[in-house]
Amino acid sequence: MTKNNILEKIKKGKVKMKPKIYFIWRGIFIAFSIIFITLFILYILSFIFFNLRLSGMWYLPRFGFPGFGALLVSSPWVLILIAIALIIILEVLVKRFSFAYRRPILYSILAIIVIVFLASFIIGKTQFHPELFRRAREGRLPVMGEFYRVLGSDNVHHGMISEITDNGFRIEKLDGQVIDVLITENTRFPSGTDFKQENMVVVFGKRDNGEIKAFGILKADREFRNLIRNHRPGPPRSMLFE
Amino acid sequence: MAQQTDEKITRLVQSGNIELFGILVERYEKKMLRYGKKFLRSFEDIEDIVQEVFIKAYENIKSFDSKRKFSSWLYRIAHNEFINTIKKKSNNPLYLFDPDILFPHPVSKENSDKEINREELNKIINKYLDKLNLKYREPIILYYFEELSYKEIADILHIPIGTVAIRLKRGKEIMKKIYDQE
Repeated sequence: MTKNNILEKIKKGKVKMKPKIYFIWRGIFIAFSIIFITLFILYILSFIFFNLRLSGMWYLPRFGFPGFGALLVSSPWVLILIAIALIIILEVLVKRFSFAYRRPILYSILAIIVIVFLASFIIGKTQFHPELFRRAREGRLPVMGEFYRVLGSDNVHHGMISEITDNGFRIEKLDGQVIDVLITENTRFPSGTDFKQENMVVVFGKRDNGEIKAFGILKADREFRNLIRNHRPGPPRSMLFE
Repeated sequence: MAQQTDEKITRLVQSGNIELFGILVERYEKKMLRYGKKFLRSFEDIEDIVQEVFIKAYENIKSFDSKRKFSSWLYRIAHNEFINTIKKKSNNPLYLFDPDILFPHPVSKENSDKEINREELNKIINKYLDKLNLKYREPIILYYFEELSYKEIADILHIPIGTVAIRLKRGKEIMKKIYDQE
């Protein structure tokens, strides 16, 4: 009975075969969605890595438990949540394919996480974000510009020591601001206490009236110094090093 | 034509020989009705739903890759259609996420209960099938009544093969518990 009903509907044109091209376009759409979402996740995660490095927040865990806590509080959680949501969407899309659904979700999720984290970490070290950041500072990056201007945490500061004072030192920040850093008996020094003028330092502490009571201070490593030099506003880099 | 494989007939239907779709309907009508009756016991319009399964199969037949098994493809359409029916008509919530598919499970031997009287086992399963949660009921129907392999069931339900094995094992354990209590 079902057979006759169906064949009748087919012959009368009530039921029609979808053309092959429909499925080809659907496949292309899914493939592009997977590629686009993957690239977007890579962009967001690499931006988070870049943000953490440029703001100095990357160094917070070196100040012990309080530093780790500050990193958790100050991390860009909205971006992290967006990245997690996109990873879930990517997992749902990938699960349409037998190579993914035949294996436990744990495997495909772990594969996605490992791949995107590694790729993001590598992209975070390239000139991709620094270039966009530079354009944003020069006002040449529409839409995304604001995204790059709001970087960092209120509790992390970095700059070059411009003067040693009686109770600490004075630093000049990336944007030219000068701040007094106060060293107390509770200040931690994960990289030692041998500070000199023109040393690049990362200071962990709350800023109050133009001064920071430092909870921790460390000397910036070469990688961080290079990153900061490349983003110092003012004359072009070539002039600074002539 | 009656001796041709499903996949060969599907290729001919794809190329415009639409009358041959009737052979596929004939071959699978009873199976789909049996699957539907066991899966959707409380629903009355199973024949209409099965007809809808075949209509969906015809509409989407050009997406079928004839290198794969037609039966798994058709059961997948039926599974989706039955699940949609339950979603529309039942008040019971369907759980979208199942921790069973999260972690790997060791796959037990596929024919481990061959030595047990299959007829008797089918009778017991038939009697207690209603008492099982949907996620255990479906692999049991596909394995014991439709006689599909773990791999085919995994392709129909889009779950790992290890999860098929664990659901079959747990489903049988639940039924055994009920049987022992009675």
